[in-house]
Amino acid sequence: MAKELIRLVDCCMSYDDTQVLDHINLYINDREFLTLLGPSGCGKTTTLRIIGGFTTPTSGKVLFDGQEISSLPPHLRQVNTVFQRYALFPHLNVFENVAFGLRIPRREEINGKKKKVKLPEEEIRRRVLEMLEVVSLKGFEERHVGELSGGQQQRVAIARALVNRPKVLLLDEPLGALDLRLRKDMQSELKRIQQQMGITFIYVTHDQEEALAMSDTIVVMDQGRIQQIGTPEDVYNEPKNAFVADFIGESNILDGIMHQDYVVEFFNRKFKCLDKGFAPMEPVDVVIRPEDVDIVPVEEGQLRGTVTAVTFKGVHYDTIVDFKGYKWLIQTTDYHPVGREIGIVLNPDDIHIMHKSSYSGMFGDYSSYSEEYDEINDPTYVEDGEEAGYEE
Amino acid sequence: MNGKNRFGGRLAMALVFVFLYAPIFVLMVFSFNDSTSRTVWQGFSLHWYQELFQDGIIINSLYTTLLVALLSSLIATVAGTFAAVGFYNMKRRWRTPLMTINNIPMTNADIVTGVSMCLLFVAAFGAWNSFAQQINTASGTSLPTLAMGFGTLLIAHITFNIPYVILSVGPKLRQMDKNLVEAAQDLGCTWMQAFFKVVLPEIKPGVVNGLLIAFTMSVDDFVISYFTAGPATSTLAMTIYGMTKKRISPKINAVSTLLFVTVLLLLVIVNLREAGQERRRKHPGRAASPGSSRRGTVLGAGALAAVILALVLLSRQNSARVLNICGWGENIDPALIEQFQEETGIRVNYQTAESNEAMYSKVLMGGSGYDVIVPSDYMVSQMRQEGLLAELNYDNIPNFQLIGDAYKNLPYDPENRYTVPYTWGTLGIIYNTTMVDEPITSWSALFDPQYAGQVLMINNPRDAIGVALLYLGYSVNTTDEGEIREAYELLRQAKADGVYQSFVMDEVYDKMEAGEAAIAVYYAGDFLAMHENNPDLAYVVPQEGSNWFVDAMCVLKDAPHKEEAELWINFICSTDSCLANMDYIWYASPNARALAEYPAYYKSLYGEEMDPALYEIMAAPAEVLAGCESYDALPAEVGDLYKNLWTELGIG
Repeated sequence: MAKELIRLVDCCMSYDDTQVLDHINLYINDREFLTLLGPSGCGKTTTLRIIGGFTTPTSGKVLFDGQEISSLPPHLRQVNTVFQRYALFPHLNVFENVAFGLRIPRREEINGKKKKVKLPEEEIRRRVLEMLEVVSLKGFEERHVGELSGGQQQRVAIARALVNRPKVLLLDEPLGALDLRLRKDMQSELKRIQQQMGITFIYVTHDQEEALAMSDTIVVMDQGRIQQIGTPEDVYNEPKNAFVADFIGESNILDGIMHQDYVVEFFNRKFKCLDKGFAPMEPVDVVIRPEDVDIVPVEEGQLRGTVTAVTFKGVHYDTIVDFKGYKWLIQTTDYHPVGREIGIVLNPDDIHIMHKSSYSGMFGDYSSYSEEYDEINDPTYVEDGEEAGYEE
Repeated sequence: MNGKNRFGGRLAMALVFVFLYAPIFVLMVFSFNDSTSRTVWQGFSLHWYQELFQDGIIINSLYTTLLVALLSSLIATVAGTFAAVGFYNMKRRWRTPLMTINNIPMTNADIVTGVSMCLLFVAAFGAWNSFAQQINTASGTSLPTLAMGFGTLLIAHITFNIPYVILSVGPKLRQMDKNLVEAAQDLGCTWMQAFFKVVLPEIKPGVVNGLLIAFTMSVDDFVISYFTAGPATSTLAMTIYGMTKKRISPKINAVSTLLFVTVLLLLVIVNLREAGQERRRKHPGRAASPGSSRRGTVLGAGALAAVILALVLLSRQNSARVLNICGWGENIDPALIEQFQEETGIRVNYQTAESNEAMYSKVLMGGSGYDVIVPSDYMVSQMRQEGLLAELNYDNIPNFQLIGDAYKNLPYDPENRYTVPYTWGTLGIIYNTTMVDEPITSWSALFDPQYAGQVLMINNPRDAIGVALLYLGYSVNTTDEGEIREAYELLRQAKADGVYQSFVMDEVYDKMEAGEAAIAVYYAGDFLAMHENNPDLAYVVPQEGSNWFVDAMCVLKDAPHKEEAELWINFICSTDSCLANMDYIWYASPNARALAEYPAYYKSLYGEEMDPALYEIMAAPAEVLAGCESYDALPAEVGDLYKNLWTELGIG
């Protein structure tokens, strides 16, 4: 049984009149890799800053190991942070950046007396070199941080935080400024480091792929509220509402009516499904993942539609199909040209039913395909044109 | 870019540098000139440097300038840096208006800042002093009274320096990665530790820059210092400005050269350090270990603290007794001040004013705190009538009996109850014998189109209209508007005829010494200084008679140190003091014995006879003086007439 390390109780946060966090309740286990996922402005970074101690919540409590730490300043928390743009100290070299935290004298109680304790120089040296080895930066000690590539700076930032042996490492969009290939490499690297160090990572990102690939637990946030907490499989396969279904992966979301357990009606047709526990005749949102749809010859299909657009994506084709004026995205390995009439078959486990929510009707329609498509496929953004080094 | 363009660019740059540095270069060259002339090179000498270090007035003001600059720039840098951090952490909604408020004092005219600070200090101190006095008399305590001085000067300089520091540090903060402070705190720093370990190194260039700007602004400042320094403190700028009544001593070239070289060295050191850091950055193998850099910082801070401590201790040689004097620049042998201080243990603060009127308005403004002033005759008269002067106790001034009878009971102090004369002399015509056909004997030369473009008229209304009155045969003290207008008309016509090359005060030295003008109106003592550099010059008191003037020592009615003031006056009246002073400033002494003995003194000092003609110019004989008239204070309406006519004449 995993041990609980951090708990947020009813945390609210507002700046001026804008509420950025709305009653956040969350617990984080020891050695867990937890990701706060959501679009910009959803409150994920604020949540991270509350845990780091850089922001005090307007109301609510933060518990660490059962102790309340809501107003404890950052330097007294057993938490370290990797900032979005690394925040390396430009006037120090790599070694001194990493050694920074170790050189701060700590107040410790020795025989009942409070004393300032400084680490001996050999120990600092040993720990810094050890940590540089963990992040694969051996031999870079004397480099100036300005001479490093983006990926290398990233590693220095991680080493600088980890060398203090925190119980929790907070990472604020740490891969945001890296190019795609480097980001993939760093994902597995981070996962490896987390397992090697055996500590908790709290990771903030807006990139759902990153979240799915790395996390033990994903917290999906929007508009200052937690939308869903679960494992990557949970949030992908069992999204709680239209927002989650849309934000994690691609979804076709339809209006449906739950006739009884295991039976749902949409497009004036009843389908078998695996969901139950809804009120009789409850209006629901029906989620159908694009890759779950099987295309069959017209006559064999449960539903019939016409192909209106096709995009080659390498592994599969993104095919837009018009069903009675409602457009679906279907991912298929077979090529179906525009204009062809096709049929589809939905198996019970391809259909996921959700309660109606405030997000109903906002997502999951591919009628305005091209715009939405672009938006979804542009998860990378380089913050302010900062040039990250590509060579490595 | 082609070669031609590059050459053009280099030429332009060279011209800019010449333009920027030529004045300083000239100044430095002339600081080694073996002559008082500012235009004629007479060989290399370290004479002025030697003189400089013997001149207590200049050295004292230099010391004050540097101490104020150092302390005010350091304090302003600390305060301004933290203020900038405060601004930085503020919400934009508040920051923008507050930054505007911060910037206003910089665009504000210095004179406004200076006067308003002066008023504030005078009002606050006045209130405190009357309060303290009441408490003291009521309860027998001894709360101190406050007066303007080093403290107020320092406060004023800190105040006007802070905005510059904020302006210099602010952009560096904004350039800094916002997360740096949080990163440091995250790694275990308190806010303060984060500031010193991370923020300060990041904004250091801005802080150092702010410090240098503040230091420079402080050294530069004249106007604000002038209003806030009080009677006992003078900055170098104030001292130099005070010299403009007489000539600016070449010692100033020497002190300016030293200042310039010091600042240059400072900048070179700063730049070398930065270059060194850059090199270390580029060659990481030689990165200094953190220990050594920290040791460097500690050493630097220690050295700085030691310097400040030394300066403060040095300034602590305050003796209980002080004396505040306001005189003219280059109008006293500084050795006399030293001697007086040694003999009596009284510390003398010698300030200089640039004109009678400036001194008068400073006294009127209140809080001047002067004890002894040395106004000219007409100003004595005015101040006496206005009740600004204290009656002297002549029992404390036994040397007064050494003063010649001719210099007692003069019209400005008919019963001689307020004054002891300091120096006297005549106004006359200085001319270059090689540039005129025959010796000049009459004021008419000043109005004669024959000398068009050759005449330097004196740039003050009293003397200029005075000589015209003399030429017309009227009294210099006439109150008849018709006579005065007639004299003005004479001047106006001559000006229209192009007789006057220009209206000058102390530029007269350079122009006459260099032979740029043939004729000038100026004072006898100053002629003697010019004659040293150009023996072709001659001096004459014209046949129509002239003005003879007396500068007299007076004690202000509200002088805080009357006893010391009388001691000083007595000391200055002694024959030895008068001889030394006469030799230094070449103005005649009213001490009859000193005046008579001067030629012998000159011989014993320089081993040669004094030219009797020159002696007669300095100490005009009785028959010459008989034809001369001293200035009386003019009634207010006549004074206004002078002012208006002078404006009408349109000089400059």
